[in-house]
Amino acid sequence: MRMVMNSTPQVFLFLSQLLGKKIVDPAGRPWGKVCDLVVTLAEPYPSVTAVFFTPVGEKTFFRFSWTRILELGQDLRVEPLNGEERAGATVNEGELLLKDSLLDKQIVDTHGAKVWRVNDLHLLKVNHNLRLVHVDVGLRGLMRRVGWEKAMDKFFQWFFDYHLTDSFIPWRFVQPLSSPDLLRLKIAQYRLAQLHPADLADIIEELDIHKRTEVFQSLDIETAAEALEETDPKIQVRLIETLNPAHASDIIEEMSPSEAADLLGDLPKDKAEGILKEMEKEMAEDVKKLLVHPEEKAGGLMTSSFPALPPSSTVQEALEWLRQEAENLDLIYYLYVSDVDGRLFGVVSLRDLLMANPQARLADLMDSRVVTVTIEEEKEEIAQLFAKYGFKAIPVMDEDNRIKGVIDFKGLLEVVAPQLGK
Amino acid sequence: MPATAAKISRKGFWKTLGIFFALIGPGIITSNVDNDAGGITTYSLAGSEFGLTLLWTLIPITVALIVIQEMCARMGVVSGKGLSDLIRERFGAKATFYLMIALFFTNLGNTVSEFAGVAASLEIFGVSKYISVPVSAFFVWWLVVKGNYKSVEKVFLVACFFYLSYIISGFMAKPDWAEIGDQLFTPTIRLEPEFLTMAVGLVGTTIAPWMQFYLQSSVVDKGLKTEDYQYARMDVIFGSVIVNIVAFFIILLCAVTIFQAGIKIETAQDAALALAPLAGKYCTWLFAFGLLNASLFAASILPLSTAYTICEAFGWESSLNRKFAEAPQFYGLYSLMIFLGAGVILFPDFPLISIMFYSQVINGMLLPFILIFMLILVNDRKIMGNYANGWILNLISYLTIITLIFLSGAMIFTSLR
Repeated sequence: MRMVMNSTPQVFLFLSQLLGKKIVDPAGRPWGKVCDLVVTLAEPYPSVTAVFFTPVGEKTFFRFSWTRILELGQDLRVEPLNGEERAGATVNEGELLLKDSLLDKQIVDTHGAKVWRVNDLHLLKVNHNLRLVHVDVGLRGLMRRVGWEKAMDKFFQWFFDYHLTDSFIPWRFVQPLSSPDLLRLKIAQYRLAQLHPADLADIIEELDIHKRTEVFQSLDIETAAEALEETDPKIQVRLIETLNPAHASDIIEEMSPSEAADLLGDLPKDKAEGILKEMEKEMAEDVKKLLVHPEEKAGGLMTSSFPALPPSSTVQEALEWLRQEAENLDLIYYLYVSDVDGRLFGVVSLRDLLMANPQARLADLMDSRVVTVTIEEEKEEIAQLFAKYGFKAIPVMDEDNRIKGVIDFKGLLEVVAPQLGK
Repeated sequence: MPATAAKISRKGFWKTLGIFFALIGPGIITSNVDNDAGGITTYSLAGSEFGLTLLWTLIPITVALIVIQEMCARMGVVSGKGLSDLIRERFGAKATFYLMIALFFTNLGNTVSEFAGVAASLEIFGVSKYISVPVSAFFVWWLVVKGNYKSVEKVFLVACFFYLSYIISGFMAKPDWAEIGDQLFTPTIRLEPEFLTMAVGLVGTTIAPWMQFYLQSSVVDKGLKTEDYQYARMDVIFGSVIVNIVAFFIILLCAVTIFQAGIKIETAQDAALALAPLAGKYCTWLFAFGLLNASLFAASILPLSTAYTICEAFGWESSLNRKFAEAPQFYGLYSLMIFLGAGVILFPDFPLISIMFYSQVINGMLLPFILIFMLILVNDRKIMGNYANGWILNLISYLTIITLIFLSGAMIFTSLR
């Protein structure tokens, strides 16, 4: 973060040191106090463009532009403003108030995927510019605010010969949470979307009810769907309930059918039906078929988006088909050789496809000894089969021995994870 | 949906039981935990040392309790955040830090009091405190950290029916109801240190600071929508009234049995005599059971709530789903409270009854400061929107604060003289 610019003096400051600073005129007479700092958002580090202050003896807030500052030292040396020059203390588009929006509030560290509380802000002063570089979430920051920093240092040094380091998060990883507007801020890229869906789900679960909904509603459809899949079922229900059926159906359409079925199964009947109506017909049909099965058995764990092709297809046709459909499939590693009615003849792995002659037919390549389970199969049985054969997926058959779905590795995790004390 | 139907029939009995327990809201649970070792002791002492003269205080205390808890419940529902969360965001790190230190030590005092209750109750059965306290401390710690706390909470709750025995006992003792009614509506104030201390203690045990944080967190966990707020309010009012009914009967009984007999409560056995009208010579057993249940219940909840409150204020990881290494401050604080709370009791000749009482007095002294924070928060339209306080609630709250500060001040002043 140290911008080496010739040999211009650089100083690191903390917001806590600046708040409450006296504002003095060139002669040194105080005429106001610093209440907050306004930054204009820019990448990678926003710069301070205005100061909120209260005049001596008054309570109202006003603002003046940072360019008026003559010197930033013990006090802030600024030419006093006359009546007309005092601008009302408002925040404009693209601006952020440091104390009001960040200090003591919660933020998401999109690099470490955690929610933190801000103890202080770390600023860099270069020439006359002040830039926000880090958010301080560490114990040292907390002690600095309380005024015990030196005492704490002495304590640690004396007893443990230990120096507590700072705990900073660079601004480019920080997503402020304190108001819905902040979530819609045009910060270069939308940071929350960069998190892995499982991490994003963790963060959503950790936030309080209002923030949770705000964050969720600020996500784009795809990210929302991915995060929702990983979220605790009870919270899934709460989040979907806050959306109208059209919006909810858009998101659920992006989820895998088995996850969508689980979620819709947990919703109150009328709400679920409302969403199903809004959904794309094909997907709604798939989901309805899966909904029939109890969640705890094979039927409830399987997905209906699996690769299936007739035995007469060639390897080349199969690979082409996979390329086209890959986006919509829940698993691509096994291709199930079957006919239109769902009779299963065998299975071909992706590895086999890649190694084979492009003109070979699936019927010649396939392994006809397929390990399957019935729709009613219990979780424990399924787990044992996975363990015994080491497959990545197991097909699920109905009473007529037609393939209805496939339990993939993710489905397996749902079975096994509780036993591992998830 | 067929899938849903399948789910319901499978869960059947347990689900119905679950719904029942779900209806027991945060208000009711909080009030049951409120009647902990410190509570039982303070109410018993109030009756046994001052007869019926302090009975009238229960009326203003009930009103204050309802008002204060309702504000916490309202803040929880509207903001969706816990009390220490709100305090941190509004008042900043410094104020929160000092408040948390004060809260930690006050709650530590309460924890010591709970283990004192365990020791005192089991001493009735002749079990030495050197056995009962470490075992119970370990049990409570293990229960929360390793075990399924939620289902045990329900067992504790059911055992709270024990308080009915005070109510039944109260009627069986056939006291002079006319005199009781008279005393209930006649305020008496004596500017003597013991009287004032007892008054502060009564307030402190009924409106304990830690309860406000616990209640608000529980309400937040329940996830009520703002429109459903009236359920939270009913639950809180109901819980507050129950607490004070139980308190009424404890004071009543101790006044009628122990005070009349001129006995001074030195040990839990003495306090147990209040239940003699109901249980005769088994009163000590009944009392011991109730005190033990109350103490263990509170010992499970109080340190946990404190750890949550403090970690929430400073943004430290605070979840039982995390391992020790992932949430060191949370587990550390919790374990420290249990360790110190139980450890202090093990000192020889430790005055059990006194600590149970004085920890509540300290509650009463910290309370006005918490109330000041709360009042500022609940009147802040940025947080509460249209649900900010009306003038009546503000008036009652200001009166409570002023009275408490006056009482604490008078108490200290008269004791020093």
